[in-house]
Amino acid sequence: MSKARWFSVRAGLSQRRRMILGVFSFLLPLLIWSVVSYVPFVWHPKVLITNPGDVDYLQVDMYVDKAVFADELKNMRTEGKAVPEGIPVNPVYLPAPDQVAKAFYTAFTTAPEQKDMPWLHESLWHSIKIIFWSFLLSSLIGVPLGIVCGAYVPISRLIEPFVEFFRYLPAPAFGALAVAILGIYDGPKIAIIVIGTLFQQILIIANTTRKIDFTLLEAAMTLGTTPFKLITKVVIPGVLPDLYRDQRILLGWAWTYLIVAELIGTSSGITWFITQQARYQHFDNVYAAIMMIGILGLGMDLLLARLGRKLFPWDQSQNKN
Amino acid sequence: MIAKKVSGKLKRLVAASVIPLAMMCAQTSHAAPLKIGYSDWPGFVAWQVAIEKGWFKEAGVAVDFEWFDYSASMDAYAAGKLDAVGMTNGDALVTGAGGAKSEMIMLTDYSNGNDMIIGKPGIKSLKDLKGKKVAVEVGLVEHLLLLDGLKKLGMKESDVTLVNAKTNEMPQVLSSGDVSAVGAWQPVAGQAMKGLPGSRPLFTSANEPGLIYDGFAVNPASLAAHRAEWQKFVKVWDRVVSYINDPKTQPDAVKIMSARVGLTPQAYLPFLKGTKLLSLAESKKAYVKADGFSSLYGSSKIADDFNVSNAVYKDHQNVDNYIDPSFVNGK
Repeated sequence: MSKARWFSVRAGLSQRRRMILGVFSFLLPLLIWSVVSYVPFVWHPKVLITNPGDVDYLQVDMYVDKAVFADELKNMRTEGKAVPEGIPVNPVYLPAPDQVAKAFYTAFTTAPEQKDMPWLHESLWHSIKIIFWSFLLSSLIGVPLGIVCGAYVPISRLIEPFVEFFRYLPAPAFGALAVAILGIYDGPKIAIIVIGTLFQQILIIANTTRKIDFTLLEAAMTLGTTPFKLITKVVIPGVLPDLYRDQRILLGWAWTYLIVAELIGTSSGITWFITQQARYQHFDNVYAAIMMIGILGLGMDLLLARLGRKLFPWDQSQNKN
Repeated sequence: MIAKKVSGKLKRLVAASVIPLAMMCAQTSHAAPLKIGYSDWPGFVAWQVAIEKGWFKEAGVAVDFEWFDYSASMDAYAAGKLDAVGMTNGDALVTGAGGAKSEMIMLTDYSNGNDMIIGKPGIKSLKDLKGKKVAVEVGLVEHLLLLDGLKKLGMKESDVTLVNAKTNEMPQVLSSGDVSAVGAWQPVAGQAMKGLPGSRPLFTSANEPGLIYDGFAVNPASLAAHRAEWQKFVKVWDRVVSYINDPKTQPDAVKIMSARVGLTPQAYLPFLKGTKLLSLAESKKAYVKADGFSSLYGSSKIADDFNVSNAVYKDHQNVDNYIDPSFVNGK
């Protein structure tokens, strides 16, 4: 096994090697981030002041450009005054991995200061609920419509041109309208995510449905199915595995609209945490929150992938992951 | 087979989803509490003290405060979803010109240093900006502040080159070195100065008190229908101001306010210092008709001229219609 070559075109890899590579795909970016953060000569364009010396405008914890710091150091030396001291650092916008990891932990353990404010996990749960309802609503409309468009050309010609047009419209631009119609709480937020995903969903599902093997349909029609039965007994079972995979991709799509959607109406969910922390430049908290979204999204996708393998054991492509 | 199972499940899901969704989207009719939008400007956050202490209950008025991002709160008000919202007198005109009229029944504060024009190192006064680039969010209060400062020195807008940028991004804009000065309010202004040591405020709202008044603007229909409740609401404000200004209770007040925006009390105190909270007695003076910044009428008139000349909206607004002095005068 260990003698097997790593690189041969399109050849499968052993389970163990796949695992190793999977772990590495996360370790590599982390390694780059660590190098940039911990190795001073790689980037570190700023100096964090630890002792301002006699320079009048410097304060402890201030970030100064390297050049400015060097200048002041020279000035103070020539004037024989106390020299400033500092350590090279990255800009405040790029915290180190350990700071983000710490922020990740403390975000969950810090109680909200006020009784009416949510804990972080409550904010996350709120965001998950918004995604759930949005995706459910979008799917209730998008999946049936997509399947019908894929099965019947006249319907596809009637629906798809407008959908093609509408999917280019920026969903967030409908925020004000959504607030006017649906109020200020979760309604408009859900509406924005639905607008963001529904139109893509119709087109993707229609295309998937069109890929069904025509001989299957011919056989069914030769045996005299009704149009309705053709859809329920042949088309849907035929495309189900592919449709499931499309839905997984679209769910990821819905997540990307979450941040935009939650900016509309009252402040809530994980976005409220992110924008608030960004405003006060606590970037370690910001990146921690972004990672939470990534972990939630990926975790959900892995669960669904596993479920897919259980649901459609006959479908080979489900196992490609 | 699978399809059958799925469709049975779907039916149940649909049934289960319609009811809560209907509940979510159901708009409560204006029977009960006054719905008020507020955001993270210190003068608005001050209400948090009254909310925590249960003073509205004591005053016998039911209020429902909703927390927003500032611009989202104005959008919600414009969409008719709020009875009142906290905003600047200039923004009340902008919102009104767009069709959502309002009446400012009380003032919370005027900006007293929280809004500033910050020059990069080497720029010592607004005079040094002649022929240089200045970044402001065009049409917003910092733009007005800059014009006011230039006017005081006998300069014009054309003496500087305006660069339009988002207020939240001003720290990056200033430290990029591409512009000589930026306009921003707190907390962004403080971060901009921290990010570029040696930069300093050239002109702040403390140089022109009353340029920017903040208060609560109420929907005229709600005002007519619930006049007695709004009177009770305004009365609570004095309690808030004295609680925040009294040295004995100030630490507790700052703790409540800083928690609302997710900061430590120490970090929040400077922002409070740049805001001059106005008790009802102090507001009375601003509610006297006069020209200039000492009066809300005069200040709004200047804001109106600014908005029209910068094409924020087309037609002059009648400033008097946006101001209702009867509440602070206790009538």
